[in-house]
Amino acid sequence: MAQFFLATDRVADFVAHLMAQKPVFAPHPKGRRSYAFALTEQAADVVLDYPRTLHSVKKYFLPPREELLTFDLTANSGAVTEPEPTDAVFLGVHSYDLAAVHRLDFSFGHGNPERNYLTRRQGALFIGVSFAPDRFHFSGSVGIDPYDMTGCDAFLTKLDDGWVLDVLTAEGEALMDGFDLEPFTGTKPPRGHFTQHIYVPQAKLGDIMKRSHDHEVWAETADDCVGCGTCNLVCPTCYCFDVQEHVDVTVTQGSRERSWDGCMLRGFSEVAGGEVFREERAARQRHRVMRKFLYISAETGHPWCVGCGRCTQACTAGISIVDIVNRLVGDAERTAVAPV
Amino acid sequence: MADKPLRTDKPRVAIFDFTGCEGCELNQLNFEDQLLDILAHVDIVEWREAMDGHADEYDIAFVEGCLSTPDCIKRIHDIRRRTKVLVALGACAVTGGVNAVKNTRPIEDVREEVYGDDKYLFPTLPALPVSSVVKVDYNVRGCPMTQIEFLRLFTALVMGKDFVEPDQSVCVECKLRENECVFEKGMICLGPVTRAGCNAHCTTVGQYCTGCRGLVSEPNIKGMEEILVQHGLSVDEAWKRLELYNANQLEGVQR
Repeated sequence: MAQFFLATDRVADFVAHLMAQKPVFAPHPKGRRSYAFALTEQAADVVLDYPRTLHSVKKYFLPPREELLTFDLTANSGAVTEPEPTDAVFLGVHSYDLAAVHRLDFSFGHGNPERNYLTRRQGALFIGVSFAPDRFHFSGSVGIDPYDMTGCDAFLTKLDDGWVLDVLTAEGEALMDGFDLEPFTGTKPPRGHFTQHIYVPQAKLGDIMKRSHDHEVWAETADDCVGCGTCNLVCPTCYCFDVQEHVDVTVTQGSRERSWDGCMLRGFSEVAGGEVFREERAARQRHRVMRKFLYISAETGHPWCVGCGRCTQACTAGISIVDIVNRLVGDAERTAVAPV
Repeated sequence: MADKPLRTDKPRVAIFDFTGCEGCELNQLNFEDQLLDILAHVDIVEWREAMDGHADEYDIAFVEGCLSTPDCIKRIHDIRRRTKVLVALGACAVTGGVNAVKNTRPIEDVREEVYGDDKYLFPTLPALPVSSVVKVDYNVRGCPMTQIEFLRLFTALVMGKDFVEPDQSVCVECKLRENECVFEKGMICLGPVTRAGCNAHCTTVGQYCTGCRGLVSEPNIKGMEEILVQHGLSVDEAWKRLELYNANQLEGVQR
């Protein structure tokens, strides 16, 4: 579809044009040197050129904490809390984060479709944005390009003096209605290079993972890992949750809430009777990595890691999922037997 | 015996203080919005900080402070005999708290430093958590005790339900609130090995975690030491940070 040129000094007008139509969720500065998606209140606050946000846009479809139902103990009654469709524009989404949303669509849409996620997912429009890979990104190794527009209604590609705006769907076109831009006639600059790579094609990774169950890397990583669960909680494709009920101090009203959980946490694998079926941190680390590169991938044909680099950047112990995978790759290739 | 309460259906609650600053008790009086609701569900029969009176037996005893003298040991046994449920309230009662820093030094040096020539008049023990002497049924952790955890435990007790302590890191609650990591701000944080339940209160308002709620149940101390050293502390500084609230839990752990 159509390609336009959006000059840097018109970006705020562009954001304001979107805000006049729908709520706009976009990256904002957060803390000292981080970014987070937030509801845009001032068009000028939006940052389109950013390395990565603390959480992906997953948080709007699977909120960190979510009320499932409320109940009244005196009336012995309860009411399901109805989720609302998001019906908003997500501006400035990187390709790997949108790829993660598509993976979650599969996870929550297949088998037993999950009503809350799928309802919140309705009406979401995406305007993607290109990114310059930093020292943590490795999405190129899992087949996700910085210019990948899959699933976007529009896409912004960075130029020196502005952005190329690709309008990709009828919904994207409708959003642009009444906002005049010159067509873009040049060529897009080459995409940035990744400095982090998984040194094996995706197709081979499943086999290597299958052979790595007893590899020493799991125990070695567990020496450094303190089991804080951060890597799970920042992952855009992790979807596990815990469900708990709370009663207020009047002991009459209560609610059932679900909140993000993670397989790196000891309590995650604790079941009735106090049994913990992944007692060792090494087993939990192995499970996390296998969930990204083997278990779900074998079913879907896609890696369930999208290469955003969040888990590695956020790990205070400096554990890198790329290093773990490359260690397995290297050892598998060293010990591989040549086909006869 | 004066003021012996009438038996009612409401649980009889007593609150006691041992060695500590009494900040946890004060924090109970700080429940401005909830205090009347709390009092509607229980009869408080003994609480030195807030009322006169003495009771012979109670359903729930909240105990604040660590045990640090021979007299403390006698009193805690007495309380345990009189109560059905015993709750350790706050860091001092649960882990020994800051008081337990003294346990990292020879006890004679500590007595000398505090009491000088009169040290023989003041018998003292290492600062002990309540659970090291009598059975503790539930903990409310934190310094001062975490109000939201107190309310969760309180509603569970009033409903006659079990209360399950959180056993995951503060990082979990910090990430649920999408905070920028404290380490990212150039500060040192004990969140990765500290027990959640405070809803990451300090790190959300821009502070670092000092570990006041104690350690998670299977802490990787060597790993945490390495994280602190990698972020610029010496091994000694790392251990001073870790021991501030956790000297008892870390006793005997290899440096």
